[in-house]
Amino acid sequence: MNIFVCIKQVPDTETKIKLNATSSGIDPAGIKWILSTYDEYAVEEALRLREKNPGSTVTVLSAGPARVIESIRTALAMGADNGIHIDLPETADNNSIAKALAGALKKEAKVDLVFTGKEALDDSAAQVSQLLAEYLDAACVTVVLGVEYGPAGVKARREVEGGAVEVIEASFPVIIAAQKGLNEPRYASLPNIMKAKKKEVKALKAADVGVSDADQKIRYKNFQLPPPKQAGKKIAGDPATQAKELVRLLHEEAKVV
Amino acid sequence: MTWQTFVFVVVAGLAFGYSGYRFAILYRLLKAQRGKANRLGHLGARTLAAIADVFGQRAVLRKRGPGIMHATIFWGFLIITIGTLEQFVSTIHTSANFQFIGQTPYLTLIWLQDFFTLGVLLAVGYAAYRRYVIRPEGLGKSRDADLVLTFTSSLMVAILLMNGFHILGDNPWYRDAMPVSKYLATGLAGLGLSQESNHALWLVFKWVHMLIVLGFAMYIPSSKHLHVIAAGPNSFLKRLSREKGMTPINFEDESIQQYGTARITDMTWKDGLDLYSCTECGRCQDLCPAYNTQKPLSPKALIMDLKENLHRNKAKALAGKYDEVGPLIDGNITDDVIWACTSCRACEIACPVFIEQTDKIFDIRRNLVMMESRFPAEMQPVFKNMETNASPWAFNPSERVNWAEGLNIKTMAEGAEIEVLLWVGCAAAFDDRNKKVLRAFASLLKKAAVKFAILGTEEQCTGDPARRMGNEYLYQSLAKANVETLNRYNVKRIVTACPHCFNTLKNEYKEFGGNYDVIHHSQYLAGLIGEGRIKPTKAFDETVAFHDSCFLGRWNDVFKEPRDVINSLPAARLVEMKEHHDSSMCCGAGGGRMWMEETIGKRINVARTEQALETKAGVVASSCPFCMTMLTDGVKTKDMQDKVKVLDIAELIDQATP
Repeated sequence: MNIFVCIKQVPDTETKIKLNATSSGIDPAGIKWILSTYDEYAVEEALRLREKNPGSTVTVLSAGPARVIESIRTALAMGADNGIHIDLPETADNNSIAKALAGALKKEAKVDLVFTGKEALDDSAAQVSQLLAEYLDAACVTVVLGVEYGPAGVKARREVEGGAVEVIEASFPVIIAAQKGLNEPRYASLPNIMKAKKKEVKALKAADVGVSDADQKIRYKNFQLPPPKQAGKKIAGDPATQAKELVRLLHEEAKVV
Repeated sequence: MTWQTFVFVVVAGLAFGYSGYRFAILYRLLKAQRGKANRLGHLGARTLAAIADVFGQRAVLRKRGPGIMHATIFWGFLIITIGTLEQFVSTIHTSANFQFIGQTPYLTLIWLQDFFTLGVLLAVGYAAYRRYVIRPEGLGKSRDADLVLTFTSSLMVAILLMNGFHILGDNPWYRDAMPVSKYLATGLAGLGLSQESNHALWLVFKWVHMLIVLGFAMYIPSSKHLHVIAAGPNSFLKRLSREKGMTPINFEDESIQQYGTARITDMTWKDGLDLYSCTECGRCQDLCPAYNTQKPLSPKALIMDLKENLHRNKAKALAGKYDEVGPLIDGNITDDVIWACTSCRACEIACPVFIEQTDKIFDIRRNLVMMESRFPAEMQPVFKNMETNASPWAFNPSERVNWAEGLNIKTMAEGAEIEVLLWVGCAAAFDDRNKKVLRAFASLLKKAAVKFAILGTEEQCTGDPARRMGNEYLYQSLAKANVETLNRYNVKRIVTACPHCFNTLKNEYKEFGGNYDVIHHSQYLAGLIGEGRIKPTKAFDETVAFHDSCFLGRWNDVFKEPRDVINSLPAARLVEMKEHHDSSMCCGAGGGRMWMEETIGKRINVARTEQALETKAGVVASSCPFCMTMLTDGVKTKDMQDKVKVLDIAELIDQATP
């Protein structure tokens, strides 16, 4: 099986976000970058599938500036076989990224399965898996909790709102967007970390995968940080007074009722 | 030359031949261990220590009753063995004996042998009473021990009967030097046997005695009694200083393909000698916080299981078929056994023959973590936090200085001139309770006008949790980064309120080029109080129970200073818990257990808190942020937070110092 995983590098969840000078995005200086958590489930699922199907390969792709190669190495250390980096600017939007990933995948001889996270940990846009499916003209199952793999396709369980589960059957090639709970991602063993350092990561340019400025559908501007959290207010008095005061505050100050 | 000569030479030859063959296998097994250990330096100091520990029975005598019992048997056997040798010699050549040493020395020797024969018999009686009547849990049941006690007591009885009949049958000139045997002879005379019969019975018991000795020689190599041969050398080869750092792995060396120990043959010859030395006395198990709270780990069982694993894999190890040697985690030893250890080191310090259990556990963890990525799931986020944010807790490094808000403490980056660097540690930087401890300590440093600074956001986790959890690779990356920072600022002295940071900075950074004078805040405070730079004058009318931190006390021998600090408080009354100093019970947080779930048995922190509550003290004093967290939780679990306060020694002194 030819298995692919599309990953994104995101700021660590403990990062203190700062805006850049033009407020068109965040300031990348001093940020610790990590592999997006949902993508870890995607990598793990790909590795487990390969372990059950000897002879399969797992290739990890990421589109973005040079820093994302570090996250490709993280996935290689977990056990992926190959890496592909597509050089895109920091500002690339979901459409450019999906088109770039699709362009790179189209260069591959055969694509059976593509795993992604259900969304990225930073922008939570949840766009790339579905855009990618469009570009590849492939099936796509998102928010996936479990997959049964058959010879020609998959039966995937996906989470829908209200705690219900949908079961979707799809034939190869299929894109699976992983939800938390799909598996427990492994911790890279030291020999694999060492091996990952030596693995070659194939480098592609935007032009190689047919992506140009025209594919950028979103221009970002006027980013704002959320207002600092305000201290809570304690309402004194007997329950009747408290309730009255609460309604007044919700109406006059918070303007929600 | 008599018939006895021929019989003895043949029988003794066979017995010693067999015994020698078994010992040769044991020796070759040690040689087959592939790990490296270097314990041959400082021969003078080693000799002195071994004289005290082996011939002086220093370590054994730490436990009074069984210590005196063992020392009596040990010294008795040294003396009696001289007599046994004389017996062997005179059996081969009738006229040979040790009388050439002079009449008085010879009579003294005979007297000592007679005295110790009774002594050993009494000691064995006590041992049997202890093993079969008192039945301490640590001893357990052992067929080996049954046999050894039977052997030893029969041996002594045979000697006394032999001597008694000798006195009756041969009336030797030295008979008055054998008061015990002479007394027995008076009794035996009542049998009314002829002189020839008495002489014949002497011969019978002489042979009984000699045959038991020869039987013993054949039995020792395969029994726990192997300690009579191995424990001496093991004591000689012990670590001379109490402080010790784990052996680093050289990750640059590409010839190393495997990290940690996966198989018994990955251990070192010294580990093997440790296994041979174990007498199964159970002192380790008695003090193990994991064992005492129903975890599957017993340090004694671990050592016995490792020894059993070694013997089970003997043939493959000796044939050099290392790949076929079975795994260490073999069903007897489970993952839960290995992860239950809090690295408190109570087992090692209690061990009378200096077995080092923690190193073996750490080496197995190294293999599980780095080679197999096999560890409790809760540890993964801890490793990831340390990797990305240089702290076991999920906090942004920029928050590392928040604890000091408003205190106006300079960072090294601001070019501070300092007497000492204050190492904050992640617990004090990020945990709300421990932030208060460090604020109190910083306030004391200011009251004493100490010139100090912090590294601020440049400080990283020392790597202690990673190292104790087996992630040596992660530990080294943190250690190297910290050493680089500390050396860049030319730091010479470091003070820290965290015993884990203290131990790592002091004992484990040397290997990475970090040589500093590292002081724990208990020592620093004791110094400042002694110099009069801090004067706690406000009365503190309270009973204070002090809890020893393992990494301060057992690992670094700092017991006195924190107690001195508490005693400097006017009106305070220091009390000890049931277990303290070297026998102190761990809070349960060491060895990475701070971040692991405790799902089996009773919670260690609750067990320790109960010991604290037994003292009826109003304050439990700690000197470690991990202990602080565990004991505070313990007091809350027992719903005693309104009556008992858990305070750090720095907080006690700060509130008493105007």
